[in-house]
This record gives sequence, C-alpha cells and structure tokens, in this order.
Amino acid sequence: MKGIWWKLAGAILFLYVLIGGITVPLKPGITEVSPSHGYTGTQVQLDITGYNTHFAAAGDNRAWLKLDSVLSIPHSAITADDDNRLKANFVLPQGFASGDQTAPLTLIIDNSMDGVFVQPNAFFLTRDTTSNNVNSGGWESDALKGFHHPSGLAFPYRSILNETIRNTFFHVALWFAMFLLLIAGVYHAIKYLRTKDIDHDTRSAGYTRVALLYGVLGLITGSVWARFTWDTFWTQDIKLNMTAIAMLIYLAYLLLRTSTEDVDKRARLSAAYSIFAFVALIPLVFVIPRLTDSLHPGNGGNPALGGEDLDNTLRLFFYPSIIALTLLGVWMASLLIRYERLRYKWTFKT
Amino acid sequence: MLLLACDAGILSAQSASVDFLRSTGKIYAVVAVIVVIFAGIVIFLFRLDNKLTKLENQIKNEQ
Repeated sequence: MKGIWWKLAGAILFLYVLIGGITVPLKPGITEVSPSHGYTGTQVQLDITGYNTHFAAAGDNRAWLKLDSVLSIPHSAITADDDNRLKANFVLPQGFASGDQTAPLTLIIDNSMDGVFVQPNAFFLTRDTTSNNVNSGGWESDALKGFHHPSGLAFPYRSILNETIRNTFFHVALWFAMFLLLIAGVYHAIKYLRTKDIDHDTRSAGYTRVALLYGVLGLITGSVWARFTWDTFWTQDIKLNMTAIAMLIYLAYLLLRTSTEDVDKRARLSAAYSIFAFVALIPLVFVIPRLTDSLHPGNGGNPALGGEDLDNTLRLFFYPSIIALTLLGVWMASLLIRYERLRYKWTFKT
Repeated sequence: MLLLACDAGILSAQSASVDFLRSTGKIYAVVAVIVVIFAGIVIFLFRLDNKLTKLENQIKNEQ
C-alpha cells in the first residue's frame, strides 16, 4: 500500500472541507430595513429583517444609526417581533453637517447572542427644508460602546453573497488547484522537450487533462454561482470571457493530441503547445482582468481576496480545499497516466 | 416627494422578487456547485472505466 497516504489525505481533507464548509454557520446579518429613508427632525420606526439573528431569544437588542466615525443616534425604543424581525424607533436629529442633501447612515445592531453586526447605507437621512447645516441635538458622540463578541466559528455575512460565500471553498479552490495541475503539466512538457522521454509526455498529458476538467467545472460552478448572486448565468465580465478563451486554447490541446498517431511527433507538438497555452493563460486570466472593470475580487480595482471576503474562518477551509482538490487531481491524473502507460506498453509490445 | 414614493415602491418590488432566495440564504447555489463538482468527477471515472474496458478487451482478444 505504498503511496496511498497522500490519496487518503486528499480524500479526508476534502471530506473535512465538505462537512465544515457546509455546517459552520454564517454570522448574523441584516437583509432588509424599511423604511429606507426619512427626514431630519422626525421620528421613524425601522422594520429590520435579520438573517441568522436571535433578536427575540437574546432580548437585549440595541440599535444605532451611525453618521460617521464619531456621531450616531441610539434607538429610542426597540421591540423584537421574533428572532428575525426587529422594530427599532429613532428620533432623527434636526440637522447634520454636510454639503449634501442626504446622508447615508449605517445601521448597527448588537445583542448578547449575535454580537455586533452592521448594514452600511441602511438608512438615508434627507435634510428637511427648515433644518440647518450643522450637527444639531440628537447625535451622540460616544454611544457606540459595550459591543458583544460571541465566541464560536462563523463565516462572514455578506449581502448578496449570503450562504454562497461557502462556494469559495469549491469554485475558487478549483481554479487554484487547476493552476497547480497545469504547472505540473508544463513542468513535464519542458522535461519531455529536454529529455525526449515519452513518459514525461504521458505525465504532462495526464495532468493537463485533469486540469482542464477542473477548468470546465470551474466555469460551470462559476456560472451557477453567478445565477444566484449576479442574477445571470454569464455576464460580460472580462474574467469570464478571458477564462473561456483560455479554456478554448486548452481544448485545442486535446484536439491536437488526437490529430496524429505518430507518438513522438504528438509528444513534441503537444509539449510545445502546452507551454504556449500556459504562457497565454497567465495574461488572459491574471493580467487583463485586472486592467478593466470586473465583478471578481482582485480585479478592476476591486480588493483582492481578503478582508471580509476571505477572513480567517474562511481560510480555515479554503487552503485545505486547495490542497485537497490538488491531491485528488493528482490522483485522477495518476490513474490516467497509469492507463496510458499500460496502453503504450501493450501497443508497442510487438 | 412623489419621486421618493416611487423609489420606495421600486425598492420593495425588487426585494419581493428575491425573497425566495433570501429565505433559504441561497444555500441551493452551494449545493448545486458541489453537485457539479461531484458530477464532473463521476464523468471522469466513467470515461476512464470505458477506456480501461476497451484496453482489457484488446488485451484479451490478442492473447
């Protein structure tokens, strides 16, 4: 049973990612606030809908509308209808110091069970015609304190993404694993060109085929994810189209390998082509999308994976998932390689 | 004022259409993604299985 440990490691790691990635809960979040705007000098009752919240169970809810890093309004009255519905009353101040007619306010909620969570731009405060351009009474400067920070593992709540933030472990990790497998494929392609050992060609083809499978799965999973978050299966997002081009370049690699029966010719052609395809892949997937607008993190001026998009709880499963998918990919590739070796041996036996 | 009222109407209509998705927190998207990956691996296995069967038959016939 030599050489089984890494296969087992891959399977166990992936099981860990599957179980952990599905069962770890999401942090609480705010999905809806109504009304979403009001006028200075009035009173407002906000109907707040929460996700994964425990408003009724906790009982000690507090809410604030935050103007800037200093000023906020604490709630004047608060009632929890149930765990996901909260009614918070606010007495809106007479004015605020801003040149704009409307100020976006951040809603902050805190209780002992959920801890503190925020919804930026939850409420828009519009200046009444009679109000002045100063921070008048009603704003408090040190109201935001005494937050709860419950222990326990939870993934960050991101509006729009919601539960689909878990797809980071599958969709995103799939691309990382694909890239590692392609590196293995190119490594053996170069090795073949240097040594002319046909076994390197077999290996290069095995890794590249599995990488391509991952790439196609990555495109499909991305499409499914986009359907639920961006509300479409395919967008004109630059990263999608560039990746699709890269995939087509690699599909041509598969065609190339079936185009000739001459083993040495095929090996030389496909080794050279796979180096070309890999070199083409880097600007297509990593450079061009960063230059224009894109919905993907790390592209078009978006922050790279980090912050709330990839916090430490997500890393706990994201990195193992890359390792697991890579190990499983190497396993699948090794099956292909062993099959090809057998076929090669049998074909040239006589 | 009328404009604001219209805005509010549009906002609430939009949130109603995604209510179903929100009620489940879009967990089906995660399920679908896992199913796609699993299906991909199964397709890979089927194809490898077929290839092996062909090679086995070839070896059997020539012996």
